Amino acid sequence: MLGSIIFSIISWGLKAVSPHFIYQNNVYITPTTSLEYGGAGHALIGSLLVVGLATLIAVPLGLAVAVYLTETRGRFKGPVRFLAQSMSGLPSIVAGLFVYALFIATGTVNLAGWLGSLALALLMLPTVVRMSEEVLKLVPGDLRSAALALGAPQRRTFFQVIMPTAKAGLITAILLGVARVVGETAPLLLTTRLMSETSVNPFYGDLATLPTFIFSNLTAGFDTGRARAWAAAFLLLAVVGLIFGATRALTSQKVK
Amino acid sequence: MNLQTQNSNIAVMDADSHLEARNIHVWFKERHVLSDVSLHFPTNSVTALIGPSGCGKSTFIRTLNRMHELIPGAGLAGSIYLDNEDIYAPGVDPVSIRLRVGMVFQKPNPFPTMTIKGNVLAGLRLNNRRIRDEDSLVESCLNRASIWNEVKDRLDAPAGSLSGGQQQRLCIARSLAMSPEVLLMDEPCSALDPGSTRRIEETIRELSADMTIVIVTHNMQQAQRVSDQTAFFLAEEGQPGHVVEFGPTDNLFSSPNDPRTEDYVNGRFG
Repeated sequence: MLGSIIFSIISWGLKAVSPHFIYQNNVYITPTTSLEYGGAGHALIGSLLVVGLATLIAVPLGLAVAVYLTETRGRFKGPVRFLAQSMSGLPSIVAGLFVYALFIATGTVNLAGWLGSLALALLMLPTVVRMSEEVLKLVPGDLRSAALALGAPQRRTFFQVIMPTAKAGLITAILLGVARVVGETAPLLLTTRLMSETSVNPFYGDLATLPTFIFSNLTAGFDTGRARAWAAAFLLLAVVGLIFGATRALTSQKVK
Repeated sequence: MNLQTQNSNIAVMDADSHLEARNIHVWFKERHVLSDVSLHFPTNSVTALIGPSGCGKSTFIRTLNRMHELIPGAGLAGSIYLDNEDIYAPGVDPVSIRLRVGMVFQKPNPFPTMTIKGNVLAGLRLNNRRIRDEDSLVESCLNRASIWNEVKDRLDAPAGSLSGGQQQRLCIARSLAMSPEVLLMDEPCSALDPGSTRRIEETIRELSADMTIVIVTHNMQQAQRVSDQTAFFLAEEGQPGHVVEFGPTDNLFSSPNDPRTEDYVNGRFG
């Protein structure tokens, strides 16, 4: 079944994909314009921006929580761990709705890319926390003892001994978190919507992203629109494939 | 040196003691695991701690460099004097004690992401200390740990590429780089083959010229080979561990005062 999905996307997508598809945007293009014009360039940039910002929010926070759970003797570890596990089941539209309700419905801010990043960060966080925690727990306790016996303060022990040992696993945790959200559509529909121009500013105004591009092109209903959607899906799949490939490449280098 | 044979647990102050434990009691949560341990370690001596498994030798040795308190639920009473200053006095930074009292563990634990050279210098880097000539410090520590000739051509190789015995000697070199006054060794040879064990025992004798060494060992022949004085720990059924006998190694093994010591060193139990 997986094979047939991938095959469909590749075969249909290749019909519309061309070099210009990747970098051109969709200004002045209607769904009926021929495939020689326009592209998903704006959507690609938008996706990278939104997901990138989400990563910047979720990763430091997620790592900090994982460190709290493994390295400290805090009293709230049980509840925090439970919260992280429960959040991993959060439906993506609920995450989007939460951000929408908090910011847009109350009139605080308008639609913007960074709100989409917030929603995506909410979805990424549990993955990053849980995987990082597992990876940190795998670092043998005797390394920690060795560092402490050398008179190292706890913080430096963590950054110079534990982190480097866990690095490969932590990178995997981060990249898997990213892969989880790069195709999420629902929260972006509520917070970021879609535009046709290329915007590089995630802090103001609409932003196009690959999933919303696919959605809007498909729902418009024309053949050319649908072809564009397939092409964008192909692009999205390629991005995810690149992420997983990068994970394999980065982590296999660490093991000698 | 002024050693005194002890058959009881009454502390006797010794003017030459570099390190001294007085009336040490240890708990893990509610469980009393060590009772009234008083031992003194003269400067540049080697003391062996022997006794059956589970009698508190490793627990005791961890009180000497304040590693014991890192275990959740750990409790301690009594005093430990390093150069006549109580290391558990309020306001004493445990990190400063660990800089003066080093430790080598049972299972060799070099840092896997660092090279051989990096491991030797790890203690300095972890404490943000800079020295002018890193290379000669590395060479001198690896020499004193009796491993220089085996690794001098591959200092940039990962520490994991060494054999078990070599890794343990690397860990000794790593501790030496901090110039400790006291070196604690918790069964350093129990995971190693006889050849490596012998090399490390020779190293211990050489190192004791410059520092006080306390070594926990299950191997009684090893205790006889390397130590000047020996303490015999025992934990009877349901009782916390305590020191049964403490004195010069030769006396303790050839003519022990306590019948339990005699039974143990003659292999009748443990």
